[in-house]
Amino acid sequence: MSTATSLHQSRKRKNAVMMTLCVTAAGIGLAWLALILGALVYKGGAGLSFDVFTQMTPPPGDAGGLLNAIYGSVVMTVIAVIVGTPIGVLAGTYMAEYGRFSKLTTVVRFINDILLSAPSIIIGLFVYELMVRPMGHFSAIAGAVALAILVIPVVVRTTEDMLNLVPNALREAGTAIGAPRWVVIKSVAYRAALSGIVTGILLSIARISGETAPLLFTALNNQFWSSNLNAPMASLPVTIFQFALSPYEEWQQLAWTGALIITLTVLALSIVARSLTGRREDK
Amino acid sequence: MSQMLSPDMTIAAEATAKAKIEVKNLNFYYGQSKALKDITLSLPERSVTAFIGPSGCGKSTLLRVFNRIYELYPKQTAEGQVLLDGQNVLDRSQDLNLLRTKIGMVFQKPTPFPMSIYENIAFGVRLYEKLSKSEMDGRVEQALKRAALWNEVKDKLNASGLSLSGGQQQRLCIARTVAVKPEVILLDEPASALDPLSTAKIEELIDELQADYTIVIVTHNMQQAARVSKQTAFMYLGELVEFDRTEKIFTSPREKRTQDYITGRFG
Repeated sequence: MSTATSLHQSRKRKNAVMMTLCVTAAGIGLAWLALILGALVYKGGAGLSFDVFTQMTPPPGDAGGLLNAIYGSVVMTVIAVIVGTPIGVLAGTYMAEYGRFSKLTTVVRFINDILLSAPSIIIGLFVYELMVRPMGHFSAIAGAVALAILVIPVVVRTTEDMLNLVPNALREAGTAIGAPRWVVIKSVAYRAALSGIVTGILLSIARISGETAPLLFTALNNQFWSSNLNAPMASLPVTIFQFALSPYEEWQQLAWTGALIITLTVLALSIVARSLTGRREDK
Repeated sequence: MSQMLSPDMTIAAEATAKAKIEVKNLNFYYGQSKALKDITLSLPERSVTAFIGPSGCGKSTLLRVFNRIYELYPKQTAEGQVLLDGQNVLDRSQDLNLLRTKIGMVFQKPTPFPMSIYENIAFGVRLYEKLSKSEMDGRVEQALKRAALWNEVKDKLNASGLSLSGGQQQRLCIARTVAVKPEVILLDEPASALDPLSTAKIEELIDELQADYTIVIVTHNMQQAARVSKQTAFMYLGELVEFDRTEKIFTSPREKRTQDYITGRFG
């Protein structure tokens, strides 16, 4: 009887110790996030004003905004998504639908996984060699291509995964009614996997919107307004990089504000992505 | 064994009607393993034929040969003949999509498409026919009535097919199949995922549909086979053991294995 009680007691103690460790670890993880967010909101929020969205990046010592950087980020992200999404979705479709049982799919999946975790600076260097050097100058289009290369593996992966989640019974049902394969994919499989595929695209946007390294080697930066795709273009991450390292107070303030804008955008995208997947699970 | 019995069986079945589907010396392989062994039987037109047998006996496999749905997967091959109105559907020249509009199929688990109730039915029709809006409305209504679902869904045709109950979803799948005007309907354990009330509705439906369609049903449930079918084929380990009129199979089967199975001694 007494051994049973002491066993029980020692188990309870071990349980308490383990739980404390786990909760502490989770707390530490969350604390950093909270600190970062807190600092961003506190320091970045102070500089948030209408001017940030209407004024160009200023010369040192002057007041200004981030308009050209925001514009550059949006333009390059949009081009990257327009270029990268169709390639990613089609490749994912091949892997999950047409080539499900083929060797090529295994190879592509393996390479795609490597690309997915490749350091983005390598992508930047690659595009530098591929486009910037032959063209002789940095350009927004090279930046967009670098970002597109980052979009593709994310979209390939999520598209394949989401299509693989569509039950085969549904494909059989579509086929059994006399629909050709492409109609089954377009009208049945895509529809069933839509929210998942869109989530993948949103996540890829979230990923590229904070990338600095690939842009440093490709789009570089631009102190002024430029909508020329064939010329260097400003972007939020590179501007933050440059301004945060500068000794000028105005620039540092703008860097904080820019960081807050990116974080809020990514946060919003993640929430939308979450709600889309959530709705899917409700069904 | 099946070979030896087939002349008699054919006569028994053909006495009622002309053959819609004739299977001749059919073998089927999953990779190297042989799943159907020299199957020969003929299914009469406008009547219900049931395939029964223990799990893995090949009854679903046989059904999946009729519309060649097995070709979605690699390494599955069929050899022999399956004649639909005298035409071998296993011919390489056979247009598969056309074949599948003639031979519809309903699966074990309800599989409504991720679209509205109306679209679930219009989808298949639209593939091969150009109908005006009013013609399509008529066709959808007719199909839903045929599947005894119209009264339950007529006010919510734009609701998602996934919002229906399991039994309703299965009837939607039957409606969808009927809407493309097939000649044969294959039912792969259509009621095994449903509650008894929904099952009764489906069985009633099968009974009505046989006036216009040749129906083949695979079922685990022997009472169901006895209730709905005119002919029953008992399969075991990839062989067709016995094929005869349903009441004959269930009252005085020729084969001991059939007897053992229907009396519950195995399977």
